[in-house]
Amino acid sequence: MKLSLSAVEWHAGSWKFRADATFTPGVHLVSGRVGSGKTTLALLSARQLQPDAGTVVCEDIRSCTLSFQYPEYHITGSTLYEEAESYGVDPFAACARAGLAGRDEEDPFRLSRGELKWFQLTCLLMRRWDLLILDEPFSALDCRGKLAVCRAIEENRGGIVLVSTHEQYILPKTDFLWEMMSGELTLRGTLPDAISTWESAPALVRRLREQGVLPANLTRDDILEAACRMHE
Amino acid sequence: MIEIRDLAFRSIRIGHLLIPDGTTALIGANGSGKTTLLRLLAGLTPPDTGSITVDGMLPEPGCAGFVNEYPDRNALFSRFADELAAPLRFRHIPCEELEQRVKEAAATAGLERQLERTMDTLSGGEKVLAALLSALISSPETLILDEFDSHLDYDSLVLAENLISSSGARRVIRCTQNMDLAAQYGRVIVLHRGRVLRAGSPEEVFPALEETCCYPFSWRAFR
Repeated sequence: MKLSLSAVEWHAGSWKFRADATFTPGVHLVSGRVGSGKTTLALLSARQLQPDAGTVVCEDIRSCTLSFQYPEYHITGSTLYEEAESYGVDPFAACARAGLAGRDEEDPFRLSRGELKWFQLTCLLMRRWDLLILDEPFSALDCRGKLAVCRAIEENRGGIVLVSTHEQYILPKTDFLWEMMSGELTLRGTLPDAISTWESAPALVRRLREQGVLPANLTRDDILEAACRMHE
Repeated sequence: MIEIRDLAFRSIRIGHLLIPDGTTALIGANGSGKTTLLRLLAGLTPPDTGSITVDGMLPEPGCAGFVNEYPDRNALFSRFADELAAPLRFRHIPCEELEQRVKEAAATAGLERQLERTMDTLSGGEKVLAALLSALISSPETLILDEFDSHLDYDSLVLAENLISSSGARRVIRCTQNMDLAAQYGRVIVLHRGRVLRAGSPEEVFPALEETCCYPFSWRAFR
């Protein structure tokens, strides 16, 4: 199972996106500043955008989905029941998992943004995907929702998971770290070594790194363990 | 000072609450009513019953700088330069001064090259910064920010915080899911199912949340 972006280029005015990358099974975390091209990478990888040059090739990938940054882009049903059905999952189970038990007849647009985001991600993550692309999955979620999404991502092991995020405090166990820098995708490597060269690292990771301590990975437990080492 | 008395609107029920000038973080689980309360405080929605006063006056729509949690819903105009200029145009600022202030505002966030772009071509984070600049450009006394920070990387967040702190706003009220950011604010209000569960300084509020994931992570890791 493999997703390859070979000499891919995409232009918007004078701004250029470039990527030459291969994604294999595992969790791939993509970070980078606003406007650096993370959403463009997600759209190209999901083949929702055609490259101006180069090729995007999926090998042995039978199921693929993309979660947009803004959950309202996904809505097709007039109730949560219909919305969950459109994902092919049990509506009652989806509502219960997203903390919305008994609200299956509600209009999705009556939910708060965070509730809608958690519901949409729950529906998506109740299925298994060979290629799962999540663009800013943690924005608008409270900490319980973020932790639930991390657990679900980690349960999708076996597939390729691309996670683009600005999240600073609650991250999934990550296999590969990538960075978008001014439109160019760079592989920083595997954890923990990749942290040494991670320019857009979260504040706590920067603080640990400045003290010469690298966490084994990016989960809260990893950060806490590294902080304990720093205090020793 | 903002004073809330006997407020009822949808799920919101607040008997009496004082929000002093300075910085206030509004926190709570998804669906706890944070956005609804912020809209009431901004005067965008009138309460069913009760009152909200700002320095003894009713809040007037359009006086507070407001950044919506849905960046796409902030924009009234298609071109970023027009969106940024709108609050000044509505105040009949002369064209020459207006253009200068728009350029200067965009430059503070490094977005001067994006001025001619349409709002729909900006990235999610750029849209949020554009909305923040648009809220700040008319120098409001009250700034109300609805969870815009979750769309920003660390460096952009530092930039946004600098813009907010140097804006001269007398009061900044924001909701956020970043508890480390909330812990840096002067006052924290915890909302739970539309009611104020706790209010006070971060040192007064957060210890009660230590057993939850809402406790500031940097406090847990480094204190």
